[in-house]
Amino acid sequence: MMEREIISYTLEQLKAKGMDASCSLNQSTKYEMNVETGKITLIRTVFNNGLSLYAIKDNKSGSYSVNKLDRETIDQAIATVVEIAESSEPDPAHAIAEYQPSEVFCAGPRKPDEDLMYTRLEGFLEQVKSRYPKIIVENAYLDFTHQIRFIANTNGTDFTTEKGIYRFTSMFSAHDGDLSSSFNYTGFAAQELDRELLDYGSLDTLLAQSCEQITTQTLSGKFVGDVIITPDCLSDFLSYVFGITIYDGALISGTSVFKDKLGQQVADPRLVIHSRPVSPEVADGYFVTGDGYKAENCTIIDHGVLKTFLLTLYGANKTGLQRAVNNGGCYVIEPGEKSLDEIISQVDRGIIVARYSGGYPSQNGDFSGVAKNSYYIENGKIQYPISETMVSGNLISMLKNIVDISKERVDFGAGIYPWIAFSGVTISGK
Amino acid sequence: MQRIDLEKYTPLLAGYTELRAQENHVVSIGFLKGSNVRNVQSTTSGICARVYQHGSWGFASSPDFTDESVRQVIKAASANAAFLDGKQNKGKPDLPAKPLRAEHDFSTNKPRLTQKQLIEFTKQVDQYIAEKYPDLASRYVNLNCLDMEKQLLTSDGSHAYSFNPRALISITMTMDKDGNPVELFDVFGSRGQFEDVFNDPADLYKDIDLLYEQLRHKVEGVYAEPGVKDCILDADLGGILAHEAIGHTTEADLVLGGSVAARFMDKQVASPLISLVDFAHHALGELCPMPIFVDDEGTEAEDAVIIDQGILKTYLHSKESALHYGVKPTGNARAWSFSDEPLIRMRNTAILPGKDSLEDMIASIDDGYYLIRPNNGQADTTSEFMFGVVLGYEIKNGKLGRAIFDTTISGVAFDVLQTVTMVSNDMKWSVAGMCGKKQPMPVGMGGPAIKCKVNIGGR
Repeated sequence: MMEREIISYTLEQLKAKGMDASCSLNQSTKYEMNVETGKITLIRTVFNNGLSLYAIKDNKSGSYSVNKLDRETIDQAIATVVEIAESSEPDPAHAIAEYQPSEVFCAGPRKPDEDLMYTRLEGFLEQVKSRYPKIIVENAYLDFTHQIRFIANTNGTDFTTEKGIYRFTSMFSAHDGDLSSSFNYTGFAAQELDRELLDYGSLDTLLAQSCEQITTQTLSGKFVGDVIITPDCLSDFLSYVFGITIYDGALISGTSVFKDKLGQQVADPRLVIHSRPVSPEVADGYFVTGDGYKAENCTIIDHGVLKTFLLTLYGANKTGLQRAVNNGGCYVIEPGEKSLDEIISQVDRGIIVARYSGGYPSQNGDFSGVAKNSYYIENGKIQYPISETMVSGNLISMLKNIVDISKERVDFGAGIYPWIAFSGVTISGK
Repeated sequence: MQRIDLEKYTPLLAGYTELRAQENHVVSIGFLKGSNVRNVQSTTSGICARVYQHGSWGFASSPDFTDESVRQVIKAASANAAFLDGKQNKGKPDLPAKPLRAEHDFSTNKPRLTQKQLIEFTKQVDQYIAEKYPDLASRYVNLNCLDMEKQLLTSDGSHAYSFNPRALISITMTMDKDGNPVELFDVFGSRGQFEDVFNDPADLYKDIDLLYEQLRHKVEGVYAEPGVKDCILDADLGGILAHEAIGHTTEADLVLGGSVAARFMDKQVASPLISLVDFAHHALGELCPMPIFVDDEGTEAEDAVIIDQGILKTYLHSKESALHYGVKPTGNARAWSFSDEPLIRMRNTAILPGKDSLEDMIASIDDGYYLIRPNNGQADTTSEFMFGVVLGYEIKNGKLGRAIFDTTISGVAFDVLQTVTMVSNDMKWSVAGMCGKKQPMPVGMGGPAIKCKVNIGGR
């Protein structure tokens, strides 16, 4: 059977069993080049399929996914998802997306330029070697993934998405004799490799910083000061904040400290955070939500005001709140008015946190962790790179304690972030 | 997964080639405040080939088990290796070979439970919590079962079959304190399919009661006082220290990448009280949480004694890294999915027990902390580590005091291990280890409690 036949057949079978159902079928090819210890070591080609079924009957629901598309597997998958769904506890919040007009979405190339990938990767290694001879590229992965997805349900929704994207990540450290920096890592996504890899994201900046971080100093004692969170690190902080406040789990369980804050000021008025999965400015976006709706862009925090939760259809039904128009991610934070240098110059005492290695924050927002690849600031100047330094504070309070947002931003392909300075964070050394 | 006669493809294997068929099957059931919010199964399977050519690797995989797809993946992997060899021309020699045949099947012999029975079991656990502890603000009970089944053929003559299952139930409880949620979790279960691991929901009630009691302590807890303190790291934290902060630095690919362990071989890196082993399948006469008898390169898995009485003795190896260092492969090459290449991974990493009782260890500290449960951990190739701690108690004048709120501990592992002055005489394995290094991987972590100096975060 061809892909559309599989979808139609599967949905018809499930409908005949009295099920409301959705079905997603995807076919993907990943072509990946791997670097280990500064050398290209492996080329990997991954062909894969996916068939994901979600079925509901009498308010009972279940999901089953399998990665084969032959008739026997499909029939077995249909029988399995029916059994799983019928086994569940009833919950009237289960639902599938209502009818939406059919649409086809496309982004990015269909095939990789394999020679260009090799040239770019080899160029990256050569440039690192010449510009940053103390760097060891511990690993790097450059891949191109092409995926076609067919998403349909028994309400008549029928979407097709096709996407090709290059993604790159690398982990590296700098060495000088017996001394070495901590490792650091970064990456980006792009629809074309029209530049050298070093020109994307924050790669060049972080490699240069690693060389500075071969020798570090420790801070003594503790103080409350400012922290400037870098774009790489900010994406982690944002995931933590939203994870404990505006997604299904926190809102259904009632543990979110933002549960009653919709439409209210939760952050500094200068903070504007968008989620833009279908914007041309985000290369690695998505077209359809996990529960089968056409994705739309939204603003989550608008001048400090919480504008939306990121609830799925189930989460919305469960809480009586509104379903979000996307699944989050693809965050774009509006820039501020000051340069990073100006922001640093106004810090009496604090640190730049370039990587956070810490425990998951508590549900109330408390966090503590190690500031890795970070720098000490005093009297408006960066003093030296630091090690064995911990930061602790509360994420919810930090949103209101923004000192400044930089006008410079970094585009990672999956999000665009500035540097943000926060006050009132506890910084402790040895 | 259907058993495949991989040997019939031997004539297709030119040069060093691994041919692996694999299926990962997952069952996940979740109850959040009594609602059955998760009810999922997934099956991911396929076949892959990895080809070695003079130091360059090619890999390809397909979800289909047909003769044609096997031919295709071997052809694509060979083409990838040839492309890279043509560009890189590394000229490295053949990999070491020591062929073996092995079959290790840990699937249950009992009748399999249906999804409905699994849901009923999970629901009973949830109902017990709901009825006995109505003052909880929230609760989440999640059942997660993973079966990993692999068949392997290598061109140098190894044939292996393995079925490694794991069944876990995690329970999270949340209480409200002055409008702020305070949370605590624990994970129960072990190696084996559900039927061999869990018998009756009531078997968990004692552990649930303890978890609730610990949460009550935590709700009335205090922030830890930051700074370097005398601490007792209980087994779960000792295990994560052994895995994250020491084990990773001794993985030979990371050693080549510049890890701090590169300059420590045969040197004193820890107190003589510390011996640390990456066990293959048995430890101290018992089967390990994640027993590996043959790795995904067809190498017989052997114990790797990483630290022996404080001295660094070995790294963890694949065939290629062993060739580089001129030593025997240790059987540490493992792949997560059919579509993943084997990487150097730990199996079951633990510090060996010592001679002290936990009571004596607590009594020996005037002002410090007894740290029991981590929630996550990360370490650097310098061995600088960070672990989130969600359960711990003050120690004041040799006695346990108040519980502490969530905190983080950090340090340089090789320095911290030099400060170890006591090691408890018992041993406990953490059942739910999942390591991340490009691919996820289930691992065992464990050990005794250790007394050391460590930097603790707080306010």
